[in-house]
Amino acid sequence: MRSEQRLYERSEKGAAGKKGLMKERMLSQSSITARSREMFGLRCLPGECVLQRALMVRKKLTAREGRGWMSGTLFCTHFRVAFVPQDGPKPDDNTDPVLLGDHDVALASIEKVVVVGPNRTKLVSPNSSLKFTPEELLLYCRDMRVICFLFDRLTPDAQVLEITYTIAKTYQPLKPGSVLSFQNAALGSVEMKQFLSNRRRDARMNWFDSASDWEQELERCGATGWRVSSVNDRFEMSTSLSRFIVVPQKVLDTELKKSFAHFNEGRIPRWCWRHPRGSDLLRMSIFQNNIYHEKDDIRNLEMVLFGCQNSLCVVVELGDELPSPSDIQLAHSRLRTLCLGDVSTSVSVPDDKWLSTLESTHWLDHVRLCLRKASEVACLLRSGHLTVALQEPEDRDMSCVVSSLVQVMSDPHCRSQHGFQSLVQKEWVMAGHRFYSRINYHRDNDKEEAPVFLLFLDCVWQLWFQFPSRFQLTGDFLLALHDSIHLPLFSTFLGNCQRERCKRSQNLGQSYTPVNGWRDALQPDSSSDPSDPPLPPVWDWALQYSADRRACFTQPVPPTPPPQPLLNGNLNMKLDAHRPADSAPGSVFLLSRGSFTCPGNLPPWRSSASGVYKKSHRRAPSTENVPGLERLLKAWKLTATCGPQGPADAYEPLLPLLLVPCMGLWRECYLRGALHAQAFSHPVTSNHLHPVERLAQEVQQLQDKLAQLSPGADLDPPTVTTEPRHADANLNQNTNNATFLFSASKPRSVGKAAPPPSSNRHVSRAPPPTATPAPRPGGKDLGGSNKHTFLFGHSSVTEGRADPRYHPPPNAKLPKSDRP
Amino acid sequence: MEDGDAGTTKETGPANSGDSSSAASAGNGPDSLTGSHVEWCKQLIAATLSSQISRPGPPDTLNRENKKLPVLAFRTPLRMIQNQVPLLPGETVQLTVKDMVYICPFIGLISGTLTITDYKLYFTSGEKESPFVLDINLGVISRLEAISFPDQEEMTKGLELVCKDMRSPRFAFKFEETQPSVVDVLNKYVFPLSHNLPLFAFQYKETFPADGWKVYDAAAEYRRQGLPNESWTISRVNSIYELCDTYPSTLVIPTNITEEDLKRVASFRARHRVPVLSWIHPESQATIVRCSQPLVGPSDRRCKEDERLLQVIMDANAQSHKLTIFDARQSSVAISNKAKDGGFESESFYANAELIFLEIPNIHVIRESQRKLKDMLYPTIDEAHWHSAIDQTHWLEYIRLLLAGAAKVAHKVESGKSSVVVHCSDGWDRTAQLTSLSMLMLDGYYRTLTGFQVLVEKEWISFGHKFCARVGHGDKDHADSERSPLFVQFVDCVWQMTRQFPSAFEFNELFLITVLDYLYSCLFGTFLCNSEQERVAQEVQTKTASLWSYINSQSEDFTNPFYENYQNHVLYPLASSRHLELWTGYHARWNPHMRSQVPVHQTLKELLILRAELQRKVEELRREVSARSPSFSSEHAASPSGTPLHSLV
Repeated sequence: MRSEQRLYERSEKGAAGKKGLMKERMLSQSSITARSREMFGLRCLPGECVLQRALMVRKKLTAREGRGWMSGTLFCTHFRVAFVPQDGPKPDDNTDPVLLGDHDVALASIEKVVVVGPNRTKLVSPNSSLKFTPEELLLYCRDMRVICFLFDRLTPDAQVLEITYTIAKTYQPLKPGSVLSFQNAALGSVEMKQFLSNRRRDARMNWFDSASDWEQELERCGATGWRVSSVNDRFEMSTSLSRFIVVPQKVLDTELKKSFAHFNEGRIPRWCWRHPRGSDLLRMSIFQNNIYHEKDDIRNLEMVLFGCQNSLCVVVELGDELPSPSDIQLAHSRLRTLCLGDVSTSVSVPDDKWLSTLESTHWLDHVRLCLRKASEVACLLRSGHLTVALQEPEDRDMSCVVSSLVQVMSDPHCRSQHGFQSLVQKEWVMAGHRFYSRINYHRDNDKEEAPVFLLFLDCVWQLWFQFPSRFQLTGDFLLALHDSIHLPLFSTFLGNCQRERCKRSQNLGQSYTPVNGWRDALQPDSSSDPSDPPLPPVWDWALQYSADRRACFTQPVPPTPPPQPLLNGNLNMKLDAHRPADSAPGSVFLLSRGSFTCPGNLPPWRSSASGVYKKSHRRAPSTENVPGLERLLKAWKLTATCGPQGPADAYEPLLPLLLVPCMGLWRECYLRGALHAQAFSHPVTSNHLHPVERLAQEVQQLQDKLAQLSPGADLDPPTVTTEPRHADANLNQNTNNATFLFSASKPRSVGKAAPPPSSNRHVSRAPPPTATPAPRPGGKDLGGSNKHTFLFGHSSVTEGRADPRYHPPPNAKLPKSDRP
Repeated sequence: MEDGDAGTTKETGPANSGDSSSAASAGNGPDSLTGSHVEWCKQLIAATLSSQISRPGPPDTLNRENKKLPVLAFRTPLRMIQNQVPLLPGETVQLTVKDMVYICPFIGLISGTLTITDYKLYFTSGEKESPFVLDINLGVISRLEAISFPDQEEMTKGLELVCKDMRSPRFAFKFEETQPSVVDVLNKYVFPLSHNLPLFAFQYKETFPADGWKVYDAAAEYRRQGLPNESWTISRVNSIYELCDTYPSTLVIPTNITEEDLKRVASFRARHRVPVLSWIHPESQATIVRCSQPLVGPSDRRCKEDERLLQVIMDANAQSHKLTIFDARQSSVAISNKAKDGGFESESFYANAELIFLEIPNIHVIRESQRKLKDMLYPTIDEAHWHSAIDQTHWLEYIRLLLAGAAKVAHKVESGKSSVVVHCSDGWDRTAQLTSLSMLMLDGYYRTLTGFQVLVEKEWISFGHKFCARVGHGDKDHADSERSPLFVQFVDCVWQMTRQFPSAFEFNELFLITVLDYLYSCLFGTFLCNSEQERVAQEVQTKTASLWSYINSQSEDFTNPFYENYQNHVLYPLASSRHLELWTGYHARWNPHMRSQVPVHQTLKELLILRAELQRKVEELRREVSARSPSFSSEHAASPSGTPLHSLV
């Protein structure tokens, strides 16, 4: 109770406008809060306060949840709209708190509240009053979900109205500070703070906030010739760069310092990744201050730009060809409108215009451009022994997209969950993508708003969709990450750069301590009130998702781990046939619009205007390299179109098909809220495991069991998703299978070893029903009739359905059904 | 490439995944079919186009189309002639022309040798290293068009082969004088029926381990449905095709309808296609009945026997006192049909009947839609306006109407528990589409590999969908208005369903593509002729092989590894354009840019093997676990493999 009281005061501070009403409501509900824990099973977070509840409400289940309707109790708290199923499992008091239950939605995720009455629909604003009792409540969310609740006749009218008003009044973060009050509602209690402070960072991923993290990455990539510099330790060289950057070994910090002035925002060329064939990927902002006084100055710039390669550097211009942030914002808002439809205005794109309208959003065009650019870069890197430097005016948006896509395509590590998280940490969080401005949590900075990261997630989804077996992470993981963006709770997204995230600790005059780094993070413009809640990173998934949902983030049968990169960084010394013949040392080319040029002022210090360079010893770039590089890209285009050429080695990039018809719509994300699609269901996609995965899991579980039973066994059974490592014959066999399943490249020899499909064997035909009694759903899901109609997809067929679980979609335009 | 043996050709392959399988099969020796199957599948998926890319790299075995032919799968000795054209048993070379140029829309001009047999056209480039191979069966060609290149100096004459499956390869003659003979021979063998020659299916001499003609036995299929019962009887009234020449010999009709009455009904229904049972619900006894339009005519004729027949059909199902008649046509068309002596059932004459129009356009509209689709897909894909171009073809719109209509039918039967009558004008086009799609939704049996074959044999082939006329087998009249891709449209709908319910179907995409490829090829007898009567007259079953023989002899290639037996589930696909996609894997497969780096089919096949292997391992481990701890086995009875795939319902 005490904490609730305190919380209340905080929220009052945040949303002063709602003060009177809120106070009244809260006091009147406080007794319910206490009871609700016992009676209705809502497991409140420490300090969470229930504002209102409604009984006998039914929630419409999505395909993933198994569709149909579920009865239960609806709650509105300070932090979320929660739904507790009637016959759900009893909450376990001993588990760690999960911010959102499987049926809950955070207030901050809600974008619009719509009610459906007997014959009309209405958008509910904080000040609106209803002249009718709603039958349905629709919550439109920022993450493109639409959550639908149906009020039963038994729901007291007063409760219906009250909870509608309460949600409408509390969801909107209208004023500055309301995000903070939201954070406080979720994380602000003493218990919660304590709980959060005891959370361990996930050690399986690289957080890139200490020098050793970067060193670890250099080692992982086998990148020699580079070192971690702490020249920007206090953000004095560049405010938006991270504290540690990776630069060529031969450049000293003192020399390096002079280079910062020549780049926009001081974002000098920095190392990102090394291809196993020895090419390095760099990123930088545009050149500025093109006055070069000393020869040393230029020598350093050359060294920084060329990195460890002496011969060839390709600058990839990202500015012109890729969508601008405002393009992305426009496309995304159009896509939202198209996909969500809008009950309150009854505007919905007719079926025969759907594809044309989708085309006119240009979202898929933007996705395609990013993938195309990344494919080009990946192919350049594959050719070996050159430096590719991505250049963007600010180096904070599209270069994040392209550099991370290149790595997802080329580095199998980045296609695992933890590898991907490390990648986002490296190329987005530490590289200073302005998450805070781009997401615009406060709705006070519309000009800057642009879902660049969501565009990136869509690109990754396209890759995953085209090469699902090459990913260890799943579509579910991408979806979870997509949805988390809209929750202003995570330090990952609540800052524009590392400096902002560590601002508080600096203000306090302390040096940043990597150990508790994220706990010190704070949104930039808030006061450094020591009582502000500690913000967790988004990667602490256990805070958000139950273990069951997290289990779906990775494939149970993981792809083959790639061979360890060699320390010399040259996995394959055999160079591509199309590698440009011995290029003159020090050539710099500009890749723009698919062709190579070498303009005289690239880099600017080499231009004739700057006389200093002339004196240096470098030769002018020879133009005969251009055809060589052109050939390289051409070869890529041919390879990309060439048929089944499954990457021979694990580091061959996954080159997606880039024709417009090959760009898919991320239906699981964008269309899950579409009104027509609410009944959308795939029996299989709704449950992520397909038969093979389930069997793989079972094998694992049985093996674990066996390991426990056998004398002297390890008492810690490995979890299902971990790679078995013991030298058990069975386990090896299993690994073999995984090998031949997930990499189409070498597997044949391995595959042969496993099951011998003799010519006249009928067994390898999908296990016929008689042969495999096990995996059948076999009518155990319902007693009584064994003929189930569980997939009701056709929205216009609504009349007279006997199945008690079915109710027509909440579309007012549909004919009224004879509801019980 | 001097040899025709599968094992050795593959060794010329480069180090890529294309040969990972071939290496395995080579190592495996000639005993294993698997290698060549995988190879074969990849080729089919990639279709001829795998050969249309010149590769800078080493030669690729995929350039060889020959393994596409079933010959290799069964190790029948290949007859090779000097220019290495692989021949099917019974196939003979008719003409070989050197110095032909293939005008590839993707890589330009390729010169080589063209061989024409009585089954196919085989073009191979002269290169030793990586020969380019184009292999087109003649059945797929719809029309031959002479083209000319006026601005070219060397080559001025050419030939375009407009195909039924969305491509139009073009050739140029280096020497003009060869043109007449090529055109003559092609004309003769592309359009054998117009030249009084038999279709190649009658010359094809392959033998298969499985006999596809035994797949469908009408009596057995009705027995599976629980027929006959007290209300329905299996009638031999049409055994010599006297009642209706386009119906099968075995019909299921209500028990208490006399032959006399039936004959009167026949004279009242277009083409004598009387209402007969297609499917009966195992529990509610609600039925799907198909027929043609009633010959109501402008004067609103009535037929008491017809009215009584529908009443009896309704009464046969005790659960419902209503009968729903689905007229597939647009209502306006149905009304205008009255002037042409056709029409529709009047609700005032048919007591308790409800008439619903499904507003599906006719065969001509579908043909036009497919033509637009081809314009947009071949030779180049219109990238800039891809989505709006799809909208403009209306292809997906018509798919949507069909799926929505079939879902309505299925829903009426399943949830409304009432019997339905489905008809269009003649009852062999849209009716077949609707009944077969709704049966696919209602009955899990039809979603198995053999069940689907039964469905096609029953609802399409035996009930007289005019395959010969709609496809135009061996006929040169390409502008025949009877032609229309109705069956393609049906298979597209099935594909849409497999996309929405990936684990509900035992067959895979390759199966659907294969069926469509052999729809045109005239290699098998399955899709020949217009009716069962014609097929009997031409002795198709004894003189040709069945497509299902070919499929069932290597069924693992066509099996979906994700399949779960949803026997007792009804599938309602979402018929919203938001959830339909253009089947680019079929319609746009000729474009090399549409083919993925990792062949999907290979992954699927490997998954299938993995699944079997894991299944075995689970059982083995279970035994082991229960042997070690007896108490555990009972506790573990409800292990994950026993749990339902999803917790729906």
